Amino acid sequence: MGRDPLPKRVPISRLLVPLICAAALCSSVARGAEGDANDDAQWARTRAEAMKAYKSQVAPFVSTYCGRCHAGNHRKGGVSFQTALKNPAGASFKLVWERAAGQIKTHNMPPDDEDDQPSDSERAAVVEWIAGIKRLSPKDPGLFVIRRLSKVEYGNTLHDLLGVDPQVARDLPDDVFGAGYTNTLSPMLMEQYLAVANEVLDRALAPPGAPPTAVQQRLFGDDPGTEADRKVAAQKIAESLARRAYRRPPSEAEVDLLVRVFDLAAGQGKTYPEALRLMLKAILVSPQFLFITPGPSDQAEEAHAAGNVVPLDDYQLASRLSYLLWATMPDAELSALADAGKLHEPDVLAGQARRMMADPRSQELFEGFGAQWLGLDKLVGKAFDPGKFPQMNRDLRAAMYDEARLFFDSILRENRSLTTFIDGDYTFLNGTLAPIYGMEGTVSGPAMRRVKLSDANRGGILTMPGVLATSSFPNRTSPVNRGVWVLEQILGEHIPPPPPNVPALDKQSEQSVATLTVRQRTEMHRANPVCANCHKVLDPIGFGLENFDAIGRWRDHDDSGGAIDATGELPGGKRFGTPRELKRIIAAHSDEFCRNLTGKLLAYALCRQLEGYDEVVADRLADATAGDGYRMQTLVVGVVTSYPFTHRRLASRGETAHAK
Amino acid sequence: MRNNLRISRRTCLRGLGVALALPWMESKAWADPSKGAAYKPPVRLGFMYMPHGVIMERFWPADPASYLSSPPPILEPLRPVLDQCLLVKGISGVPIAPLNGAPHALELSTWLTATLPDTERRDVVNIAISADQVAANYVGGFTPLPSLELATMPQTHMEHQEGLNEAYYSHCSFRGPTQPMPAEINPRVVLKRLFQCREAGPAGAKTATASDALDRSMLDLVLGGARDLRGTLGAADQHKLDEYLDSVRSVERRIAAIQQRQIDAAKAKAGVRTGSRAFHDSAPIEIRIPEGDKRSEYMQVMCDLNVLAFQTDLTRVSTYIGSTPNGVSYPELGFADEHHSVTHHNYDPVKLDKVTKINAFNVAQFAYMVKRMASLKEGDGTLLDNCIMMWGSGLEDGNKHAREHLPFVIAGKGGGTLKTGRFLPDVKANQGDLLGTLLTCAGVPQDRPIGNATRPLTEMIAM
Repeated sequence: MGRDPLPKRVPISRLLVPLICAAALCSSVARGAEGDANDDAQWARTRAEAMKAYKSQVAPFVSTYCGRCHAGNHRKGGVSFQTALKNPAGASFKLVWERAAGQIKTHNMPPDDEDDQPSDSERAAVVEWIAGIKRLSPKDPGLFVIRRLSKVEYGNTLHDLLGVDPQVARDLPDDVFGAGYTNTLSPMLMEQYLAVANEVLDRALAPPGAPPTAVQQRLFGDDPGTEADRKVAAQKIAESLARRAYRRPPSEAEVDLLVRVFDLAAGQGKTYPEALRLMLKAILVSPQFLFITPGPSDQAEEAHAAGNVVPLDDYQLASRLSYLLWATMPDAELSALADAGKLHEPDVLAGQARRMMADPRSQELFEGFGAQWLGLDKLVGKAFDPGKFPQMNRDLRAAMYDEARLFFDSILRENRSLTTFIDGDYTFLNGTLAPIYGMEGTVSGPAMRRVKLSDANRGGILTMPGVLATSSFPNRTSPVNRGVWVLEQILGEHIPPPPPNVPALDKQSEQSVATLTVRQRTEMHRANPVCANCHKVLDPIGFGLENFDAIGRWRDHDDSGGAIDATGELPGGKRFGTPRELKRIIAAHSDEFCRNLTGKLLAYALCRQLEGYDEVVADRLADATAGDGYRMQTLVVGVVTSYPFTHRRLASRGETAHAK
Repeated sequence: MRNNLRISRRTCLRGLGVALALPWMESKAWADPSKGAAYKPPVRLGFMYMPHGVIMERFWPADPASYLSSPPPILEPLRPVLDQCLLVKGISGVPIAPLNGAPHALELSTWLTATLPDTERRDVVNIAISADQVAANYVGGFTPLPSLELATMPQTHMEHQEGLNEAYYSHCSFRGPTQPMPAEINPRVVLKRLFQCREAGPAGAKTATASDALDRSMLDLVLGGARDLRGTLGAADQHKLDEYLDSVRSVERRIAAIQQRQIDAAKAKAGVRTGSRAFHDSAPIEIRIPEGDKRSEYMQVMCDLNVLAFQTDLTRVSTYIGSTPNGVSYPELGFADEHHSVTHHNYDPVKLDKVTKINAFNVAQFAYMVKRMASLKEGDGTLLDNCIMMWGSGLEDGNKHAREHLPFVIAGKGGGTLKTGRFLPDVKANQGDLLGTLLTCAGVPQDRPIGNATRPLTEMIAM
């Protein structure tokens, strides 16, 4: 069952032979019963320790320093710890604690006019505990709610199933991804699914009277001629089509229903191919096709599930893995392993993940995950001042996007260290992008190619033009946005939003600031103590990147004519004077970076926001990845073999994904 | 009665270089003819949104007396139809504490819900059914489309304000508390959706009808199968599948409504009276899809589609997000500033002028739409007479994110329910009150208040 040689979804030729690797040993890989018992015991011990720390340190801290305004009947600013104090690990209080940590860490709280101030060591202890609040969570894989295919997944799946161009789905609305994955369905979308189904069938199948297409011949076979034989054939076709389209064996009832659709059309005088066409249309608008649903065999297991947790069946696992790495339905090899009931074996699963990463289709991980993480998905639609940056046309934006995509792919497929994202000494350029690097003399033509960088101020995502451009304003850089980007997307810090009623920063007239550099203007934040708490960390990082203009070109002076001052100091007294030195400081935080990327990838893989119990898993995955030289494939294999990826908790009665 | 005053058989939809057949446009029935009731066009309800609020002093009229003669600069584009508009000042938005850090995620999502999202589980959508969808649930059964949702930007902006689900940022219509309604941003797709345009002659249209009927029966079977599947799933999965069931039923209803119109059309051709539509009503407007990327043209073609959908009674409820809160700029106005950043003007006169221009630009697009409605005859009056078109923003003022006096313009007489040509300077009410009152005027009964509503705004209503 090969992929159809029709329109190619993946433009890159397959250069790499699939790697066959033994499974990586990773602390979180699913293990046998004994391993599970050990794991459960360790989980329980950690919880008990965390609860002890909570009772002895945190509860007293909150009562002493916060209680007067934020406990009991007091809800100053809408913030209360009253219920969080009773159930500190409750999922809904995660945000309360995280925000509290931010306020305590930045000395915003308790307010300065409060006499009773915690010592720095008390602050540090509480902040650290809050970071570890996840350890109070019981072991839990979380819910795995049936999920609608995204627009991209839907188009790719139609391609794999029927050989049509995935662009057939282009008119569907784009999905909103992110931790809070929106996958709702609306009447409009349903109409569009029906319309796309019609379009797909028009393209894949021959019009009435015409000889069958190759796809049609493969799916439907020959017309058996008699009515009775046709019905038998229709049932077989229904079975095989549904097996592929539903990505699992259909139940008897599901096949029966499809045969009834066939009968419906045949009963109204439709020809055999027309009746089969209607059956195929029914498949394409069925929930089993549009959603990833558990197979019928899973129901039996649910009845016997201990602790309300079941492993994913092999078919669900195949889909989950395939949609994560390839954004399409499982291929023949994955399907065969699912049929054989072997896919859930940790070695097999890890081996498949490695095979899939080596395949060019794994570029979908960048399209779905990497582009969002880096913010590159915003580049196409972002406004730039055409007077100032006339070169920011479609070609340049596309080249910037491709640069990031190829860089991400190289790290994934060549199994490089994650630190390459920060300090890589190579990139991908074409003739359009080269002038941004000042390398128009050495690189020309439309094709992107790998280029070694000799200037250490360049290389890595911090200084990549696409990234620098998305975090800029249409007409100038934003050191603040760049600082926030590095802290949040690289190091995983949570930056609290500016407090309401920010005092006016630039009451000055345009003229009085016109002669100041962006840096000088930005530094006015620091004059206000409320702003300074956060901006003393944010701004210096942005200043360190000020040598790059709003579209990523090197410069020594900014628009005001003033010389760029890229020096700065970060908390802990780490100083830098150039982008290169800033990168070196950031690169030294490889553990934070690895942990941050692990959390983001795990959330993407699970299609949901991480809960405390997932954060514990992410900690272990990050440790294991760090222990293996921060290798990208180790991280991905860790995620797909992790407990929450391979298991699911069954919803209790009345519990929904949206439960309050 | 079979004469050239009928809606023309084929209406040219230009811009694509093709003429698209509208096979079932020939006849429309406003009211059940068997009752022999007097011809009364239905009331249509439309909403159009602009983010980030207005410059208050340049939006609100100085006083009720000067409202018509000297409108403030932002309302200037509406001057020709001001006598058909109603301005109500003193409508407060939903207080957003404790979500103070999410003014822009909430300006749009609270606009038609008058409700704050669930603050406990912020990562998932949980708010309330929006006013337009309350209306669609009631009047949507009469038309092929229960409601029409339009926008001019993808609804995919991601900003994790206050940890809230990204969908809050760019959606204002919610079919239920957990189900944001996507809006269509491509005028070609809207056109296709409205008319299921098929480039085929009468023969093609006929087979299409037959295949529609077959589709409906097929969907019936699929629905049955989906219900069986639902029975085997856990609670959370069932909840998800309910959206599917609801959506498929809606598609079925739509196919049925189209079939009914085709039957009516056939009867009309045979000389059988099927509806009470007045024959001197204007012919359907033409749609011209712009080829450049001028924002005004883009916004106006969406306005045209809205007008056409109302005029031909394809739907009676529409929501048009003129722009979402992020990233729009207006090069046509001669400056590159992004809408959002320039609204943080700190009273800088240059920025105040720019925001004023952006506000007036948006009002001008709304004015384009309602003026067009006012030019179309319907029954004894105009299409606008039978509409309630609400334009507004979910913030009073983008500079400080204030929400005390949200800007609204109501255009149209709502079939005689609204007393227009007035400025009510101090109504002291909230967003839910306003939405509830407009629904009542559109004939939509409510079994519970819209969001934070407390009272009907009787001062708006024609006695």
